[in-house]
Amino acid sequence: MNESSRLRAAAVGYLNARPLCEGLEREPASSRMLIDYGVPSEIARRVSEDEADFALMPVAAAATIGDLRMVRGCAIGARGAVRSISIVGERPIEMLDEIAIDLSSRTSVVLARLVLRARSKGREPKLVGLPPREAVSQVGGGRGALVIGDPALEVEGRFSHHLDLGEAWLEWTGLPFVFATWCGRKGVLSREDERILERAKLAGLDRRDALADEHAARTGLCAASLRQYLHGAIRYDFGDAERRGLERFYDEAARAHLLPPARVRFFDEDGPAQVPSSSIDTLLSRAAEGERLSAAEGERLSVEAALFDLGLAADAVRRRKHPEDVVTYIVDRNVNYTNVCTTSCRFCAFYRPVGHPEAWVLSRAALAKKLTEVVEAGGVQILLQGGLHPELRIEWYEDLFRWIKREFRLGLHALSPEEILHIGRLEGLSAGQVLERLHRAGLDSVPGGGAEILVDRVRRKIAKAKCTSEQWLGVMRTAHHMGLRSSATMMYGTVDTGRDRILHLVKIRDLQDETHGFTAFFCWDFQHERGTRIEPGETGTVLYLRQQAIARILLDNVEHVGASWVTQGPDVGQVALRFGADDFGSVMFEENVVSSAGTTFCMNAEAMERRIHAAGFKAARRNVHYDWLTAPA
Amino acid sequence: MTLDAIAERVRRGERLTPEDGIVLFHHPDPVAVGQLANEVRERLHADRTYFNRNMRVEVTNVCVASCLFCSFAKLEEGAPGAHTMTLEEAWRELEIRMDDPPGEIHIVNGLHPGLDFSYYEELLSGFKRIKPDVHLKCFTAVEIHFFACHYGMSYEQVLRRLLAAGLDSLPGGGAEIFHPEVRSRIAHDKATADEYLEVHRVAHGLGMRTNATMLYGHIETFEHRVDHLMRLRALQDETGGLQAFIPLAFHPDGNGMRNLPPPTAIDALRTTAVSRLLLDNVPHVKAYWVSMTPEVAQIALRFGADDIDGTIVHETIYRSAGSRSPGALSTAQLVRLIQEAGRVPVERDTFYRTICEHPRAAVPEAAVKVRDRKSRKHLEVLS
Repeated sequence: MNESSRLRAAAVGYLNARPLCEGLEREPASSRMLIDYGVPSEIARRVSEDEADFALMPVAAAATIGDLRMVRGCAIGARGAVRSISIVGERPIEMLDEIAIDLSSRTSVVLARLVLRARSKGREPKLVGLPPREAVSQVGGGRGALVIGDPALEVEGRFSHHLDLGEAWLEWTGLPFVFATWCGRKGVLSREDERILERAKLAGLDRRDALADEHAARTGLCAASLRQYLHGAIRYDFGDAERRGLERFYDEAARAHLLPPARVRFFDEDGPAQVPSSSIDTLLSRAAEGERLSAAEGERLSVEAALFDLGLAADAVRRRKHPEDVVTYIVDRNVNYTNVCTTSCRFCAFYRPVGHPEAWVLSRAALAKKLTEVVEAGGVQILLQGGLHPELRIEWYEDLFRWIKREFRLGLHALSPEEILHIGRLEGLSAGQVLERLHRAGLDSVPGGGAEILVDRVRRKIAKAKCTSEQWLGVMRTAHHMGLRSSATMMYGTVDTGRDRILHLVKIRDLQDETHGFTAFFCWDFQHERGTRIEPGETGTVLYLRQQAIARILLDNVEHVGASWVTQGPDVGQVALRFGADDFGSVMFEENVVSSAGTTFCMNAEAMERRIHAAGFKAARRNVHYDWLTAPA
Repeated sequence: MTLDAIAERVRRGERLTPEDGIVLFHHPDPVAVGQLANEVRERLHADRTYFNRNMRVEVTNVCVASCLFCSFAKLEEGAPGAHTMTLEEAWRELEIRMDDPPGEIHIVNGLHPGLDFSYYEELLSGFKRIKPDVHLKCFTAVEIHFFACHYGMSYEQVLRRLLAAGLDSLPGGGAEIFHPEVRSRIAHDKATADEYLEVHRVAHGLGMRTNATMLYGHIETFEHRVDHLMRLRALQDETGGLQAFIPLAFHPDGNGMRNLPPPTAIDALRTTAVSRLLLDNVPHVKAYWVSMTPEVAQIALRFGADDIDGTIVHETIYRSAGSRSPGALSTAQLVRLIQEAGRVPVERDTFYRTICEHPRAAVPEAAVKVRDRKSRKHLEVLS
């Protein structure tokens, strides 16, 4: 069997997964399956973007993707103490005020939230996202930590109070817990494939002592303790009891709005792995009531739901989040400091290469004139973005930012993740270091541009030189952890499919669960014109309204959705206010990138308010944090 | 009366009252109103959405009327910008397009006081000479009324002579707002509401088909709009001769109401929807893309409209009032517009007979962008 016809498997490389995976690296399994390892978020991504056929996936990720099948008999679970997922502290866990938590491990975080909620009787500690080892170092007083994996085993016995979440779950529900299991889309694994996985597991279980010893040698952890961990704590069965445990977890998480509702479905079973076996109407009313939908459910809506039903559901979500019926807008100005750019994106008509006769960098004098106009028009910030100019150093940006702050006192919504990464590459700095320096120089918030579609297959086709989706999200994660807020965007309508657009939204939602740093979401379609070098794909007014409505429905944790009137025109932009948007974007002085692709609209505050009123809303001016600057009227 | 109660009655096939119309215009959720209109539209036409290959000709902008909303008419011959085509110039508009000829010519003019009636007769017969099967949809009821007064004939005599010259049907223009409170202020010196309706009545009596319009979004109230729709519904009950109703959005540039803002897209969609719901006896409601912009017209195809009008080719009346729509759309562009809206494009003749049914888009409610972005050369500051 050749390489390309082998099933692509993905798994986490953690010790507790080794007994299930190791056997797949050897014959006979290896001639049927090709296993590759990654971190939990990465392996879920591979399945959802069809880069892997199946994966040993955390159960929360499986619910988020939705409609996946599981392999009967194989799982990573526990019945009672699991040892590797614990909350630790220097006072009783129920008395903690704050728990530092590695938010990227979603299954553990959801389990921790549920257990804390069930035990706390109303008094829940605040969860604070921190990298794992940092979390441990901060334990003390009212602060505890959720520790996962090797760090959890390392700190066993170190703190005076300790809550093992596997034990707490059993105590609460009387059921075993399942952390991860082999998952894939319906039909990808045959009966024979499942038997291969089962045989690999049996071989792996026999090697537990050896695996524990190898891991002990590598990490310095106690070998006897690790042997006990693999033999006693972790259980690899997936039978009826485990199924009941997992379904209980899914039910509790859905009720708490932490995960989309899900059911356990094995590869050999029929029926959807969703709850209830949803009609489009059920999905829409669940969305309208604020429930979370899985990626698979979002995809169904995007294909099957009628425009109006999406619009009404999105409007209901908007009303639930913003019952005051106010639509905001901001008086700001989009300033592009340079049109020089090294990425040559195929959808862009704005950029010029270095040395091109039409290349420019705005002078301070030209900038001063623009900013003075903004101040005079009552503007509160500028949106400052450029291309990726290979000769502008970080000091140039710092000077510019300080000068703008000193002379104009305007908010600085500046530099998209791509620009942050670019400056980091030029200077040999991390994104975090670049952001720190720019933040000190006056950066207030980060625009969400350059996200395009956060699916790498699409990015490689339309913007080969741009960062990967993980890098884009990484810059945003870093910015959010520093306390900077940002917007999120999506530009669709090139080579992307409906599924890609849903995955984009789910990635934003996942990061938002972690950081809560996104203020708002905007989307628009590719603006095809002279200078762009790619044909339009799925675009159009009706699709725009559908897409914005689906975004409002899926992004249950993002406060605001804006209508992109700059690309769709003021008319369609106004209609979009009835399809889930609660923000009308910016009064427009100028905008260069989209207008160089031919779309040229301008609208002043009065015209914006008139359209907001005619759509049935009150209007209020806002700042970048969406605080009202004027009383709604 | 709540929207739910109205919806119930619509579903039972009951006729809505003028009060229902007012409720629909005031209802806070235009999308819900649109959805109800969409139900009716889909009951009547399923996904079929009509367009035709037509051509606009405006032979003269000289006009004795002084309508407040008009940016097209120049009152007198010889005034700056006033222009009247010779017959040859008018015919040439068709001759130069004979390699891909329109199926319909739509002629609307100013009320020119200095032309002989024979000019109009020859105009029509000349077009038929060039293309015998071309459909001539010419002269609004306001023009027919003007001809009758100016040339001393009855409506029937005017229509019979024009029919003999080749006229096939009447367009719907000139209706504006019927109610005298509005009409006396914006269009005091042309056909009254009763005269407009009488011309249509006579035409229907002669076996002709006509369209009707409403110019909304200026000084009129929702009550005036409902009154307008009710008068058309009553005429249609009597004659059954109206084929399509076309709501027309007021455009303010360069006319006597230039200080008014134009109606917004939400108003355009709501008016389309309420028209569909109240005019239960008129088969078709148009989303006239010249008035709405192609983008909003696409959405209107889900708010009650089943027809997007035609290729147009050369329209000057809305252009002079500041319309941002492109001057013409090709058949392929219209097909894609309709496909993008998730509908089935049907090329029709003037009587709504199918000429060609196009396939539905491969991807639901999405296809290739139609917008003519290149035509927008200058930055537009919208009021």
